[in-house]
Amino acid sequence: MRKYFLILTIVTTFVMTAQAADQNTRTIVYDGIATEVTVVPNSSADLWITTNDLARATRFAIKPQGVCRDELCFPLPHNRKAEFISKQGATTWFNLSEFAKLIRQPVVTDQKNGVWYFGARAAEQSGYLASLEAPNFTLPDLNGKLHSLADFRGQKVLLVTWASW
Amino acid sequence: MLYQELKAKNFEIISVAQDTGGAKDAGPWITAAKPEYTALVDEQQIVTRKYGMVNVPTAVWIDEQGRIVRPNEVAFIDDRFKSFTNMESAPYIDAIRDWATKGAKSVYVLSEAELKARLKPQSDDRPNDRLKADAEFALAEYLYKRGKGVDAIPHFKEAQRLDPDNWNYKRQAWALSDAERDYGTSFGKEVKKLNGKPYYAPRKLPELKKGTNEPRN
Repeated sequence: MRKYFLILTIVTTFVMTAQAADQNTRTIVYDGIATEVTVVPNSSADLWITTNDLARATRFAIKPQGVCRDELCFPLPHNRKAEFISKQGATTWFNLSEFAKLIRQPVVTDQKNGVWYFGARAAEQSGYLASLEAPNFTLPDLNGKLHSLADFRGQKVLLVTWASW
Repeated sequence: MLYQELKAKNFEIISVAQDTGGAKDAGPWITAAKPEYTALVDEQQIVTRKYGMVNVPTAVWIDEQGRIVRPNEVAFIDDRFKSFTNMESAPYIDAIRDWATKGAKSVYVLSEAELKARLKPQSDDRPNDRLKADAEFALAEYLYKRGKGVDAIPHFKEAQRLDPDNWNYKRQAWALSDAERDYGTSFGKEVKKLNGKPYYAPRKLPELKKGTNEPRN
């Protein structure tokens, strides 16, 4: 009897922990890479994440000149800073979904699974229409070996897509 | 075969399977074809997205500097599907051969103005919808890969609604499902709905003077 009670306690504790974790975590897919992040409990419809998670999931960081990644910087509108940044104790939270709107990046979500997918910005996706430079990609062959279009520079390339369906 | 004939002319073929099922679905076809050229597998339809493709097979010609010289166009290099496409492969193969041999001097290499005109996305009036469609499709694909096939369906549907001209987004989703049950349709039914409009945008190859490779003006 005592043994059963112990098992029940363990199971109950586990389920409760898992549920609590679900409420406070989300999956962000950014540049095609999935990262688990913590969100503000009972948060609004927006996606507020810590600046640590911002760096982990997107490589963006808050700097005096704006929200930056490498050479790329997006200044935040002065009168709207509170819509993007919120300090609570030692933690700084960042509104990633509002930032996506600001930089015209499409965001789609799956509520049930807690997934936020951040797509390509218009400027990223359509740059080649002006430059005529063929967008690069890196993909595996059947043996898992990776090949990039850029490796073929210096040769004429016939790029052909097909599908099994 | 075309590749063996042309590879000595600084010419390469990269084939890319647009298959969410990855090597499991595309692999048997690649193995059977025993290609000498580079055959890649694109589980996330990255190439579809980056090049704004809407169906398969689609080809792009890229020159030695990595510049597009002919953008997306239907690319049959044999006549297996001729009854469906109503398109001969021979003129297209001749065009590839001409380009491999003459490079930038080939009559099939497009001018910058013509390239820019053709590169305008087909749904240019709703570019934001297209980007959102791409994201919905990618989210659906992400869920599907993690065993959430049922949860993926509404996102596949949303991608199809936002980018209705994209057959890749339709056919891939249908292939992962029972299309009649989950989408209330099938490829055959959707082709019928075209009502005689061609499934593939017609190729626009230059008209040549008879027996020459000179464009007819």
